[in-house]
Amino acid sequence: MASNEEGSIGTSLHGVTAREQVFSFSVDSSSQTLQSDDPTAKFTLPVDSEHRAKVFKPLSFAKPHMRAFHLGWISFFTCFISTFAAAPLVPIIRDNLDLTKTDVGNAGVASVSGAIFSRLAMGAVCDLLGARYGTAFSLMLTAPTVFSMSFVTGPVGYLAVRFMIGFCLATFVSCQYWTSVMFNGKIIGLVNGCAGGWGDMGGGVTQLLMPMVFQVIRLAGATPFMAWRIAFFIPGFLQVVVGVLVLTLGQDLPDGNLSTLQKSGQVSKDKFSKVFWFAVKNYRTWILFVLYGFSMGIELTINNVISGYFFDRFNLKLQTAGIVAASFGMANFFARPFGGYASDLAARLFGMRGRLWILWIFQTVGALFCIWLGRASSLPIAILAMMLFSVGTQAACGALFGVAPFVSRRSLGLISGLTGAGGNFGSGLTQLLFFSTSRFSTADGLSLMGAMAVLCTVPVAFIHFPQWGSMFLRPSSDGERSKEEYYYSSEWTEEEKRQGLHEGSIKFAENSRSERSRKVALADFPTPETRTPTHV
Amino acid sequence: MAIHKSLFASLLICLLFQISHGATKERLFSDLEKGALEVTAKPSRESVLDAGIDKLSITWKLSSTATKEAEFTTIKVKLCYAPVSQVDRPWRKTENELFKDKSCPHKIITRAYDKSPQSFEYTLERDIPTGTYFVRAYAVDAKDHEVAFGQSTDEAKSTNLFSVQAISGRHKSLDIASVCFSVFSVLALLVFFVNEKRKAKIEQSK
Repeated sequence: MASNEEGSIGTSLHGVTAREQVFSFSVDSSSQTLQSDDPTAKFTLPVDSEHRAKVFKPLSFAKPHMRAFHLGWISFFTCFISTFAAAPLVPIIRDNLDLTKTDVGNAGVASVSGAIFSRLAMGAVCDLLGARYGTAFSLMLTAPTVFSMSFVTGPVGYLAVRFMIGFCLATFVSCQYWTSVMFNGKIIGLVNGCAGGWGDMGGGVTQLLMPMVFQVIRLAGATPFMAWRIAFFIPGFLQVVVGVLVLTLGQDLPDGNLSTLQKSGQVSKDKFSKVFWFAVKNYRTWILFVLYGFSMGIELTINNVISGYFFDRFNLKLQTAGIVAASFGMANFFARPFGGYASDLAARLFGMRGRLWILWIFQTVGALFCIWLGRASSLPIAILAMMLFSVGTQAACGALFGVAPFVSRRSLGLISGLTGAGGNFGSGLTQLLFFSTSRFSTADGLSLMGAMAVLCTVPVAFIHFPQWGSMFLRPSSDGERSKEEYYYSSEWTEEEKRQGLHEGSIKFAENSRSERSRKVALADFPTPETRTPTHV
Repeated sequence: MAIHKSLFASLLICLLFQISHGATKERLFSDLEKGALEVTAKPSRESVLDAGIDKLSITWKLSSTATKEAEFTTIKVKLCYAPVSQVDRPWRKTENELFKDKSCPHKIITRAYDKSPQSFEYTLERDIPTGTYFVRAYAVDAKDHEVAFGQSTDEAKSTNLFSVQAISGRHKSLDIASVCFSVFSVLALLVFFVNEKRKAKIEQSK
């Protein structure tokens, strides 16, 4: 039964690598203790005690884990396409609707503001109805708003429609929530990074897609002022199609759909007020809110302004400006997963402290390159600065979602929602401050935004976990508070603990021991209090 | 290290491009000979003109004060924004450097230079945005550099301006298609939702 891998019982190194299994119900591919009716046997990928996949195989579409991953990121990708579909076409739209710079800027703010509320709501919807319906609601209820661009005649209508389309960015929360319940904590940085990054790519793809679609429609004979309206049907279509796919092919949880599991009593329904309270009470939520506002926030702002910036400042053609702008968003394909992966790697070496440092480094470096982008007056330098800026900022986004799943177990959905909302809030704020008036040129606006981002990344130093430490402080030496179980079960009242409602959090706490640094794991031989290990 | 070297090399190349490119872009609007051409632009009716429908009668001829006539090879007639249409719209800004100037983006006609007075009947294109305009004719030499110009308004750009109303870009067929697809989207979602709730209830009652 004992495999030859380092760390299994029988070798004198047991406990050293901190990767041994200390819980009784996980599946190891070499273990022979499977019973024929073991529920974990039906999964294609190896899973942990919560039936979350421990391995990430991006090329697979296996039910339920990888399928959820792909549906999640594709939904999010589609929403990004819709939300920023107007941006590369602004030079045409501003002529059709007689917009001023203020109108364009305000619509940009509106396009990201709607999602502040919808992302908050989405967190709750996911906790209560499941990720599938969260995603489908977002996609299929905002598709009408995308189609309604055909009715717009002036700045007010334009702003209203962009505001309503922006609601669909809530799919970010449902996507991250979905992956967080499907994948184990050790790989969650990479998985969330890939899902978030490939979804964010939509903001880049739209800068290429919309001018191309516009061009094709014009070649088919439409005037420019009608062609851009027809072009909006493409993102609308995509949303409906993907929404249907999510509902037919997806599954809320590894064990089934939420409504079925709830009715059969396997998953207990939680109270929204409790979920909300514990999310809001945790100060780390708010620091993540600000941080994300200046990584994803400036990324969203750039999606809105960068195409117009290159079109106006460097006199590029609409399609060329679109290609340059697209490279910003497309860098997400590898930059955000890289950030998540770097976070996971840092966690393996230094635990949670490593994750926090990586986050700070990426975000600050990205912001510094943003300052440079505003200063660049020649096209090649501007493109170079923009690419470096995009990698830094997007990696920071990935790294942040390597930290977020550990802030709370009970309120995971709402915290994803609040953090996501922070991203939109940051975007709305920066667009309002720097890109909606003629006070600053767009170039100056970019540099000022970068400077503000450097400042607003400093709060990451204040995130402290008693069981794992923070950037500058060690973990608590108190015997009780230094345990993961203490942190996660403190989200439940004594009454709820007596009812056993916190069992999920305890399982999660055990699985999260991976966030201790290697040095701590060496000194600590985990002794599970409530279960006996199978290896005894 | 190799990465540092290649980054530095590419930066150097970029800088070189920048320097070489910059040298040729110094032609200024203020260097052009003013009023070398007498330009008139008469709208087909007195009220706001409709893009795609209304016309402008444009004429241009050599002014008696012109001095650089020998260099004229082509005349480029353009539609330009009046100052009121440039407010809070930096993409239409007037700049002295000719390559940066964005105030005259709409081409009307380009003709070889002829000593005799010229005229042209221009139908406003359907992509002309709403705004207030005047007409300017640039006299261009053999190297495709502007040497002189004339415009239908005065130097302050305040007289003889005309207003254009753009097409809306909307169409009934678009509106109908939009409504149909929207209804389909919402209905499809509702159908799925209701269906699944029913199935879950059946499961529970089993």
